[in-house]
Amino acid sequence: MPFTPKDPVPMSRPQATVMLSRVAHSLYWMSRYIERAENLARLLDVNHQLLLDFQGLNDGTIKEHWNSILASSGDEDVFREHYEHADSRSVTEFFAFDKRNTNSIFSCVYAARENARMVRDQISVEMWETINELYLFLHDSSAEQLRATDAGEFFANIKRSAHLFQGLTASTYSRNEGWEFIEFGKFLERADKTTRILDVKYHILLPSAADVGGAVDTAQWQAVLRSASALEAYRRFYVREILPWKVAEFLIFSDSFPRSLHYCVAEVDGFLRRILGENTARPRTAAARASKRLLADLQSLTITDVLQEHGLHEFLLDAQKALDRIGDEVVQTTMFYPDEAEPGEQQQQQTQQ
Amino acid sequence: MKPYLASVLLTLARLKTLPVSILSSTYDSGEFFDEMFAPGGAVRPHYGRLAERLGTLPEAEFHQRRAAVDLAFLRRGVTFTVYHDSEGTERIFPFDLIPRVIPNAEWQRIKAGLVQRITALNLFLDDIYHGQKALKDRIVPAALILGAKHFRREFMNFTVPRGIYVHICGTDLIRDHHGNYLVLEDNLRCPSGASYMIENRAAMRRAFPNLFASYGVRPVEGYAEALLKALLHLAPDHRERPNVVLLTPGVFNSAYFEHCFLARQMGIPIVEGRDLVVKDARVFMRTTAGLEPVDVIYRRIDDDFLDPTVFRADSMLGVSGVVNAYRAGNVALANSIGTGVADDKVIYAYVPRLIKYYLGQEAILPNVNTYLASEETDRKFILENIAKLVVKSANEAGGYGMLIGPASTKEECEKFRAQVAANPRNFIAQDPIMLSRSPTWCDGRLEGRHIDLRPYILYGEKITVTPGGLTRVALRKGSLVVNSSQGGGSKDTWVLQGDD
Amino acid sequence: MNLRLLHRTMFTYAGSARDSFNEARLRPVNDATQTCRSFALRTEPAVPLRNYLDFYGNVVHYFDISTPHKKLVIEAESEIETVPDTARPLVPAVPVGDLATFPDRELYAEFLSPSHYVPEDVTLWHEAKEALGESRTTVFGDAIRLARHVFKTFAYKPNSTGVSTLAPAALKLRSGVCQDFAHVTIGLCRQSSLPARYVSGYFFNDKRKPGEAEASHAWFEVMVPGYGWAGYDPTHDRAPDERYVKLATGRDYADIRPVSGTYRGAPTRALKVEVAVRDAGAPVAAS
Repeated sequence: MPFTPKDPVPMSRPQATVMLSRVAHSLYWMSRYIERAENLARLLDVNHQLLLDFQGLNDGTIKEHWNSILASSGDEDVFREHYEHADSRSVTEFFAFDKRNTNSIFSCVYAARENARMVRDQISVEMWETINELYLFLHDSSAEQLRATDAGEFFANIKRSAHLFQGLTASTYSRNEGWEFIEFGKFLERADKTTRILDVKYHILLPSAADVGGAVDTAQWQAVLRSASALEAYRRFYVREILPWKVAEFLIFSDSFPRSLHYCVAEVDGFLRRILGENTARPRTAAARASKRLLADLQSLTITDVLQEHGLHEFLLDAQKALDRIGDEVVQTTMFYPDEAEPGEQQQQQTQQ
Repeated sequence: MKPYLASVLLTLARLKTLPVSILSSTYDSGEFFDEMFAPGGAVRPHYGRLAERLGTLPEAEFHQRRAAVDLAFLRRGVTFTVYHDSEGTERIFPFDLIPRVIPNAEWQRIKAGLVQRITALNLFLDDIYHGQKALKDRIVPAALILGAKHFRREFMNFTVPRGIYVHICGTDLIRDHHGNYLVLEDNLRCPSGASYMIENRAAMRRAFPNLFASYGVRPVEGYAEALLKALLHLAPDHRERPNVVLLTPGVFNSAYFEHCFLARQMGIPIVEGRDLVVKDARVFMRTTAGLEPVDVIYRRIDDDFLDPTVFRADSMLGVSGVVNAYRAGNVALANSIGTGVADDKVIYAYVPRLIKYYLGQEAILPNVNTYLASEETDRKFILENIAKLVVKSANEAGGYGMLIGPASTKEECEKFRAQVAANPRNFIAQDPIMLSRSPTWCDGRLEGRHIDLRPYILYGEKITVTPGGLTRVALRKGSLVVNSSQGGGSKDTWVLQGDD
Repeated sequence: MNLRLLHRTMFTYAGSARDSFNEARLRPVNDATQTCRSFALRTEPAVPLRNYLDFYGNVVHYFDISTPHKKLVIEAESEIETVPDTARPLVPAVPVGDLATFPDRELYAEFLSPSHYVPEDVTLWHEAKEALGESRTTVFGDAIRLARHVFKTFAYKPNSTGVSTLAPAALKLRSGVCQDFAHVTIGLCRQSSLPARYVSGYFFNDKRKPGEAEASHAWFEVMVPGYGWAGYDPTHDRAPDERYVKLATGRDYADIRPVSGTYRGAPTRALKVEVAVRDAGAPVAAS
């Protein structure tokens, strides 16, 4: 007897709306590590090109150049443990492939992939495949060869993958709580990296006053801008020459350039308030207070204040500390779960006598 | 063109468009009960429409549909993971397009038998963990229960919500060479495969939409809804919106796909042990908004790994304190603890007796005739005739710890005999059943392959049996092993509204 | 006899502990030989306590402490009235053969099977054969013979074994404390087809010197068909009398741990257990 079956029962309930701390944790770190890898790739790429442009530089200058990059990275101690000299080869090795460096491109991509795997059912297939392919690319020995023969292409690969990943995230990830953690992590990381890019220049001590404004100096400041992909934007804004204080001003205070510290912290603040449910004028949580304070500084201070009252380096260090604090607070409050590797202890027993 | 040439060309052209059907006349049912063909080759009435359709379906098109279904499974990630060493490979559970069809009258009997069985097993569990009358009345030897691997002393005297111990059961059924349905085993701990049942149905709808519509097949898509209802039934009455979660061991578990699938279908969170915390005998979930109370846990973690303070202390998958939260009545677990004592392969032999004892009824679905190595006369028989028997270890799953005597070498039989002699309580034996076969697409033609059936029974406010279930098929020629990890595949199971 | 008991366990951690889940089997049982008149359990940090009856009929208290703490104190106080020696029925002489035929023998199967502290071991089997030889007598009689065998051939030496020493290891050393004496005797009983169980409890030492350390005590019981569980103390070579208080019973120490649990955090720096068993004098007249 013919019978018309009912339509297939649609998905009975909407997706559960609660977000597990562990899931938020993984999304947050996945996003931060990809951003970190991308920034590092760009930084190394630009500085390679810089040195290629100036073949005639003496060893001392080259050495100082790489030293400054190390100093601003915050990983100098780890480098010194494993390497003797800071030169193009050793520093690039350290930042690109060294697994002992938890902040190397390889380590970052590995960590991003591990975190993505934990939340694989939350992210789209394309997002996962992109991270996975980047990991496989770095894992393959041909990657090291590529870096040696055509560094530009090597770094371009990494930047492309990272951008693809972030683009896929923007177009395939639902705008829910998970999205907030991803964006929060990305902008927090980006803000931190911008301070370090700027800080590189601080560490380069020019041998004499005559060098200020010279070809080398200008090229180095250009490199700073290029490391933040900011050269064209800067030129559109300032048009004329590359002046150090203007570069610093642009990268710290611009409210329209998406990598400037101000812009990133504004985004951080916005997502943080959504994550923590902060909707009153006076923040309730420590993280929101710290974020608001940092944002207020970036909205009201001028470059003169920074250079004269704080000093550029101190200002950047303070910003890094504030960003660290904000990140830690939010992790503790919303993303905390016990490390599964921590073993439980058994209560000791006493013999019966 | 010359006329005769034209007619030759025309004939050739016609021959090319003549469909070559996959139903070959050389299909051999052998001595086994064949699901589709009666002895003599006639198609059984409830397979009539299917045979018709297959008869007119060109082979090329059949291949196309197969390929489309396989691709869909791949894309949707309907996989299970097989672990060798620490590397896991994800595999698609092979799916055969020829469905297994069950007429309504047959199904009603199966359903009645399953409902009867789970009712009795539930009463048995309640008894074992309270008064133990069945032991005192010597229905089951006390030593077998007390020595059972999955008898959980820690669970004694527990009060469980609604008095239900087994909320989700997967009972494996086979058919002998007369076509009688027999119970092969019950799975009362963490039975899996329901997700494949649902995915297989979706695949068949896509592959044979018209055939499916014309047949009147009872739906299985309500499974997730029914499961959620059964879980909600366990929540305390005063909770307006009970929080139900699925507890998984994580990505490295072979059934992880199913865990995610079911959680999504039910719209409940999927959590791991470290996402839960027990405070003051209450269970909470760690969320970005703080600690959320949990009322019901659908746990897909075995008892051993559930709670390191009560069971295995080295388990990193469990939740410390969850057993005591359960004991305090603050959370419900599905299935409850200790249900493994009732799906122990040795206790299995006593189930018909338990049905008699608790319900006063004869078992509607009989057991396979079983010999118990723990009983002296049976043990002698087993040791002497091991090469002719199927011998199973009481507590292994997935087809491991099993010897199929007639298909094994002398050495394998000797090895097993020694194990049985050393630890008789741990072994049972059965006469090999000539399992029924179903036409299955194998290497370019339809051949009979052995199958079993795992229907899913949900025990909530009412006992519901999802019409159909997972038909597993042993893909290797002559093989009787249907498990996914050992070369098995599956088919869709169609329970009809009527009888044809 | 009226006895007052104090059992105080203190864990000090090297740092802090948290997420602590614990169980305590510190409440004396009520049975034919004793009645628990009062019982109080307290913890520090103070947390709500719940309890249940476990498989062996022991009262188990359970609690969890999620907040960090540097030490954990579990203190149990109770008053017990034990049945005077004169009122205790004698254990009848039941031939060992009856064990194979008495109606409920199936229910005691697990007390004949191996358990964690008393695993299957051929050395225990040999020892039992040596101790009993071919002559089997009565259930209780044979049990006493085995207990006496341990009493005579073992040395009571604290610190020669530890809390996790299994019976075969203690047998090899031929020394230990009451926990080991009990485990070995139970092993010998089981090898001789005598169902035996472990008893955790206390013993009022009327010859105790002031300042002498006290601890919880252990002995065993054997199932005598038609009578029930009959106890014997292999450490002192005597049947438990009115000075003995039973806390819990099980297959072995693993089933009766006075205090057990798991936690996260720093390892235990120190474990201190104080036990005090005192004569409470005549009972207070009901008013």
